[in-house]
Amino acid sequence: MPAVRWRVAYRFALVAGPVALTAQQAPAASAIEGLVERQPLNPTAIVMFLLFVAATLLVSYWASRRTRSSQDFYTAGGEITGLQNGTAIAGDFMSAASFLGITGLVFLGGFDGLVLALGAFSAWPLMLFLLARRVRNMGSFTFIDVVSQRLERTRIRIVALSASIVVVVLYLIAQMVGAGKLIELLFGLPYELAVILVSILVLAYVTFGGMLATTWVQIIKAVLLITGVTLTAFLVLRTSGFSLDTLLRRAVENHPGGESILAAGVLFRDPVQIATILVSMVFGTLGLPHILMRLFTVPDMWEAKKSAFYASLFMGYFYLALVVVGFGAVALLYNRPEFFGPDGQLIGGSNMAAIHLATAVGGDLLTGFMSAVTFATILAVVAGLTVSGAAAISHDLYAQVICKGVPDAATELKLTRLTTVAIGVVAVILGILFENENVAFIATMPMVVAASVNFPILFLSLFWPGLTTRGAISGAVVGLVSSVALIIVGPQVWVSVLGFGKALFPYDYPALFTLPLALVVTWTVSVSDRSARAAIDRRNYHDLLIRSEYGPGDDAPEVARH
Amino acid sequence: MEAQRKLDAIRRRTRRRLAFSLVVLVSYFGYVLNYLPSGAFLGRRLGESQVTGSLLMFAGLIAFFILLELVFLAFNRDSRAPGEG
Repeated sequence: MPAVRWRVAYRFALVAGPVALTAQQAPAASAIEGLVERQPLNPTAIVMFLLFVAATLLVSYWASRRTRSSQDFYTAGGEITGLQNGTAIAGDFMSAASFLGITGLVFLGGFDGLVLALGAFSAWPLMLFLLARRVRNMGSFTFIDVVSQRLERTRIRIVALSASIVVVVLYLIAQMVGAGKLIELLFGLPYELAVILVSILVLAYVTFGGMLATTWVQIIKAVLLITGVTLTAFLVLRTSGFSLDTLLRRAVENHPGGESILAAGVLFRDPVQIATILVSMVFGTLGLPHILMRLFTVPDMWEAKKSAFYASLFMGYFYLALVVVGFGAVALLYNRPEFFGPDGQLIGGSNMAAIHLATAVGGDLLTGFMSAVTFATILAVVAGLTVSGAAAISHDLYAQVICKGVPDAATELKLTRLTTVAIGVVAVILGILFENENVAFIATMPMVVAASVNFPILFLSLFWPGLTTRGAISGAVVGLVSSVALIIVGPQVWVSVLGFGKALFPYDYPALFTLPLALVVTWTVSVSDRSARAAIDRRNYHDLLIRSEYGPGDDAPEVARH
Repeated sequence: MEAQRKLDAIRRRTRRRLAFSLVVLVSYFGYVLNYLPSGAFLGRRLGESQVTGSLLMFAGLIAFFILLELVFLAFNRDSRAPGEG
């Protein structure tokens, strides 16, 4: 198995979405320009994409007439149903990396590529069991609202807000660079034009239609993606008489690794690396601000729970279908020389395996459809990030910290829209600045930071009576600093970016170490905290417990504020 | 009195919630077995089939988690407390 092939797939998975992964075995990666091999202009894909854009712009126009307040902007007025929200969550979370990256990894390494899929999926049962009810009942617009109900409002907001902005900005950079490269690859458009196009469309959705438009863009995208994957899987299975066994046999016969692709060990061998990836993925997802924000778009906690359930149902189906698509790519592409270049590599890199597979089983029409769906996927994810970033600045910073929770409503909404435009402009600038940089480490950080900072604060504030503001802040700072430090001395930055021979820390995803460290620091500082504020924080837990379970009502106790 | 009943219900729910989460986490991290010598049996094919224990584990975990969610939702529907919206 030529190492270069799966390195390229990893780099794609790293830059293209939330389901990010790297391998410690990967040798030094320079820049991601090797990923791109511009394809000829695909008219079918462009027509289908234009149809998607027209439909989503109409939705945005409709949504803009219903977006009149900050609540409308941030949470679509809380009027989305559980089924709609679950579909939108799936649309937000099933990124281009999920589809192209995982298929590419299975194409190269078989079973090992599926670790991404399991990691992405498994956060959702935990979201339902642990967070959906209490987060929905306690918050209003963002997860920071939840933690600041109990802890000293200004300080905890500033800390949680900083972590959220770090996560959103890094995530956005990774998305924009991935989007630019991917669109260049799929549509033959220049990188800069692709980045600007993504930003303009996202601004059109978000600035005018807010969360309502974003939700419907994500719903449309989720339906298209699931339709495309289902169609591809159906056509793949048809080639093997609808027998999975026959499909796997053909995959084993065609893949250079033979039977080894049906079990672990082709791409990964170190169980600690697998464990740390699993920790990062599951707890990182539970701490992603733009995902948590979706829980507030429904009217009550029952709908929030249904959202989490429907999201996992759609994603579970999607990832199971990817098993067929991934092994279908192995079975149907390796023996087709027309899909390989003179250097023996898959044309466009391994990330194109899913697109080539669409060509192999469905011709130009399916290829065009899947390419358009991939573009739509990027737009939906960036739109969700933009709403979340705007909410962090205009709601958490301006309205709650600067205005102490009593902002002028019109000014807040105006600021929200201005912030959205600013985020769009910044995204373009960063996307172009980072075009030829190795952004692998930037894509790693959001999941690790979310797992080591956001998740511990949120979980402990909901479930541990002993948490204090001082403990939460100490744990968050340690989580943030240790995450960034270990990523810097890890293989992606220390070896790939800085050019040292050997990493000081051997793992790319350090959450297995940084999350427990943050929890231990939070616990130690909290239990030793004897301040007056600590007493208020502890008392607030019991006061808020009933509200977190039963929702705000007339009998909800008044908790102590700062 | 009403508050005490609610607190009791919350305690029961929290225990259930943590139990379900523990089952998910143990099963989820059980995936690491695929990469340990003690989990070598997972790499074997099931009879004459091409499906290995590893592939079955992947699909089985997804199906199991969805089933757990359904059971959890059913429990919650049955145990909705008075006064709850």
